[in-house]
This record gives sequence, structure tokens and C-alpha cells, in this order.
Amino acid sequence: MKHSTDTLLLAIAFVVWIVAGLWAQNAAASDAAVTYRLKWLKNMSTVGDLFALRQGYFRERGLDVTIKPGGPERDAIRELELGYAQFGVASADQVIRALAKGAPVIVVAQLFQVNPLQWIYRRDRISVETLTDLKGKTLGVTFGKNDEIIMRTLLARAQISDAQVRLYSVRLDYTPFFKGVVDLWPVYINTQGVEIGGRLASSGEPVGYFNPDDHGVRFVANSVVTSQDMAVRHPDIVRNFVQALLKGWRQALRIDNGSLAVEAVRQYDRDSALHVLQEQLQATRSIVQPTPRSVIGAIDHTAWQETENIMLQHRQIAKPVTVIKYLRADMVR
Amino acid sequence: MLPRRIFQFFLIYCLAVAMLAAIKYGLGLSDYVIPGPQLLWKTLQSELGRYLKDAADTMTVAVVGQLLSILLAFAVGIFGRRTTWLGSFIKVAAYNVQAYPIVAIAPIIFILLGDGFFSRLLIAAMICYFPLLLSVLGIMSEPIGDIEHFYRQTGRMRWQLEVKIRAFENMHKLTTVVAGSSTLAMAGTIVAEFIAANAGIGYSIRVALYQSDLAKILVALFIIGITLSIYQGILELCGGLAKRGWVGRVAA
Repeated sequence: MKHSTDTLLLAIAFVVWIVAGLWAQNAAASDAAVTYRLKWLKNMSTVGDLFALRQGYFRERGLDVTIKPGGPERDAIRELELGYAQFGVASADQVIRALAKGAPVIVVAQLFQVNPLQWIYRRDRISVETLTDLKGKTLGVTFGKNDEIIMRTLLARAQISDAQVRLYSVRLDYTPFFKGVVDLWPVYINTQGVEIGGRLASSGEPVGYFNPDDHGVRFVANSVVTSQDMAVRHPDIVRNFVQALLKGWRQALRIDNGSLAVEAVRQYDRDSALHVLQEQLQATRSIVQPTPRSVIGAIDHTAWQETENIMLQHRQIAKPVTVIKYLRADMVR
Repeated sequence: MLPRRIFQFFLIYCLAVAMLAAIKYGLGLSDYVIPGPQLLWKTLQSELGRYLKDAADTMTVAVVGQLLSILLAFAVGIFGRRTTWLGSFIKVAAYNVQAYPIVAIAPIIFILLGDGFFSRLLIAAMICYFPLLLSVLGIMSEPIGDIEHFYRQTGRMRWQLEVKIRAFENMHKLTTVVAGSSTLAMAGTIVAEFIAANAGIGYSIRVALYQSDLAKILVALFIIGITLSIYQGILELCGGLAKRGWVGRVAA
């Protein structure tokens, strides 16, 4: 009996300790020291973030920013709520899923104006000009991730059933694509696309990219998020953070800052060759600022609404969340 | 034994969920961070069938993998029990090789064998095999002095008899080791599925992780726990039956 009481007391003490710890984390958010959780590793997709940090743009605005890499097991929105981070990068599907479950998250900037997610294929083996060309192909998708939703949307638009294609479960290892087991492989065109495409091109294999945007599917990718509480209690910090971050992106993408931008990424991404990083930077420019008139960080309301509609259509969320209400375009201005 | 195992697991699971709920409501967290009981229940209802099928798939691989590793561990353990140079070489090799983290080797296996059944089986068997081998080696190398001395003195000792004596005298230990290794086989299979396979409950957990769906993960963990409890209970039951049958035969 005494033993079970001790165990129960221990369990209660453990819960109290965790709750107190998380409370303390939340309280720490009131400082100008903020943590920024990326969606993926520190690579060219984060060049503006790293540039802002390296050039001291955050410090100029009185912010002490720590940039932490992301990964499949990291979820910026969850960390915002737990107080482990004050800002983060998330894709639209993550934001919409979180809103559907009551997470108090808002979007303060949209980093990628064009979704870099495209499918690479060998042009000497197949040709994908129209959606019906997908019929009979083996299509790589990461089940559970946004590329699955995008591909299913494309297939639905072309009225292609699951039986008419073969969906292949994709991981980080590209061997099935190199071996020719898979016809189309999802890549981030500005990072993996450059690397894989370059490797194939150097061995004399021409590659093509299948872009969902060309077929009318617009699905928002990396965006900057923070908590609703942060925006209400510390609007200055949020504004300063967004402004410093976007300055970083603007400067990093300038042609005359090319080598500085590559250097900012290179200190973390040591495995990629210099020429690969330079090509990646070029590819990133066309995603973050597709036209000279595009505003870096601008939130594309129509694309967000379309993303929500696609998710509803594929039953990724049970009911509408009206994502437009949670987009704070004013922070970008 | 079996109902007690299931009940114990159920109790632990409920305690863990209650703890999560306490954190959720203590901090006012949304269902996105920690799912509430209602969402958990809804997810259980919608995913139970699919996850049970996935868990059965995983369990099949784990059972075959465990069987393979038991056979191999006993074969090597019996061979390595002797105090010869080869016996001690096998022991040293087993101790050294088991120090390698199989999880680190797993991606190489997937690259070479693809992400089908055999990769999962091999990883499950490897994760399960080495701890099992060390236990079997330990048990089989330990002489049962009194009994073995009798047979040696009477000149009737053969290696088969030696193995039987040591296995019989350590039946409880062996049963516990075999039942315990089922956890390793299951964990090995799940790890393999999580890393690169395209089937099984580990793969489903991976997909749920991509969707940031903790409710699905908690439901999957529940099903894994129940499946494993049943399997371990059955193994212990089989161990008990084997011992009783053996005792009966010896007595007769």
C-alpha cells in the first residue's frame, strides 16, 4: 500500500515538475531572447534566416535570436505552444492541421511564394507534359506529408484512379529513383533538385521537373509562424523579428551579396560543394521572389485558401478552419 | 498470467495517458500538442481496424525474426559453450559484434535489400539475436556440477545430454529470456519500419508523425502494447507447458 502511495506521489511530482518547467519556458518568452525553429536543416532553403543572423539584423532590432534546425521529428507549431520556441517555420498544411485542433498559431510571413516541391524525372525515359501523362507511372510520394496531398489532388483533377498509377513510398534515400524503380521523385527544387539534377545531368541523363503549380495546384509551403499570445502580448518583438528576418532574405537574395549568402549557409552545410550551393541560391531566388515586383514575405491569401480547400477535399481536416483569419499580412509591411 | 499481463499494461497505459492529460489541462494546451480524451477515443474508433492489421503484420515479422534468432542463438550458444579455442572465439566475437548499434546498420540493409519483408525480418532478427545469444551462451557455458559429474563418471555424457541438462535446469531463465526477446524483436521490427519500410505499425507511426498526429501515435502505442503483452503471455505459457511436459516425461 505504502509502495503504491509512493509511486503515485512520485508520478504527481513528475507532472508538477514538467508543468512548472513548461510554465517557466512560457514566461521566458517575454524576454527579447527568442528561439526560431526551422522546418528542416540549415540549408539553402533557410539562407535568409541565416543571413539575418550572421549580419546582425536581429541584434540591430534588440533581439537575441537562436536559430534551431528542424527535421521530421520537430514541429515548430508544437514548440510555440510549449514555449520552447517563439517563432518557427511551418508549411500551410501543418498550420491548417494545427488550427483544426485548436492550436493558437498565426502566420506572420510567407517565405516561399512558389512551392519548391516538384517531381524530378528523367526526360530520356518519360515525358510529363499534361496530367494524363502520369497514368501508368510509378510516382514517389511521402505518405502522410504534403506531397502526397498534392499528388492526390493532381490525380483527382486528371481523373486518374489509384489503380492507374503506382504510388511509391519515398524516404530520404534516392536509390529507388537512381535505379529507375520510380519514375517521378519529389524534391525541393532549390536544394535536392539542384543536387540530384546536377548529378544526373553530369552523367548525361537529362532531367525534367513536374511542377504542380503549372497544373493549377497551389499549395503554400514554408511560412513564418508565431503564437497568438505572442502577437498580442509582444507585438513589437513580432514586428521586429519579421522585419529583421525579411531584411535578411532581401539582402541574401541580392546578386551582389551572393558569396556572403553562400558563406552564411556553408558554415552549416559543409557537405554541399560550393558550386552546388551557388546553384541552390539561384534556384531559391526564383522561389522567394519569382518576379522583380514580388514582395518578399508577402502572404498569398488565395493560395492559403486553396490549400485549405484541398485539405478539406482530401479529408485532412474535418471542417473548415477559415485560415485567412490567422494570416497577419500587416507584419510584413 | 495472460490476463494479468494485459491488465498491467492497460494500467500503465492509462497512467501515462492520465499524466499527459494532466499536463495538457495544467498548461491549457491544444489537441494539436496533446490530444484530449475525446479526440483519442475518436481516433481509436477510426484507426483501430487499420492499426490492428498493421500490428499483426509487424507481429508476424517479429515472430519469424525471433524464431530465426532463437534458432541461431541456440546453435551458436551450444557450439560456443565449450572451453575450447573456438568456443572462446565465438564468445568474444559475439560480445564484440553485439556492441554495434543495429539501427546504424539498418539504412545500409534497406539500400541493399530494399524496403520489403526481408529487410524488416533481418533487422528484427539482428536486434533480437545478440542479447539472446549472450544469455544462451551464459546459460550453456555454466556446468550443472552435481548432475553432469554423475554422467561423466559413469561415462554416459554426450554433448546432447549436456545441453539438455543445462537447458532443463535453466528452463525458467531461458523462458524469461525468450519472452523478453520478443520485446526486442517487436522493437526491432518497429524501428525497421520506422526507418524505411512501407508497411507495419512502425510505418503507420511514421506517417502519423508526418501529420503531427499524436492521437494516432498514442493509439498505435496502445495496440503495440496489447499485442506484445498477449504474445509474451503466450510465450510464457508455452515455456511453462514445455517444462511441465519435460518433467512429466522424466518422471515417467
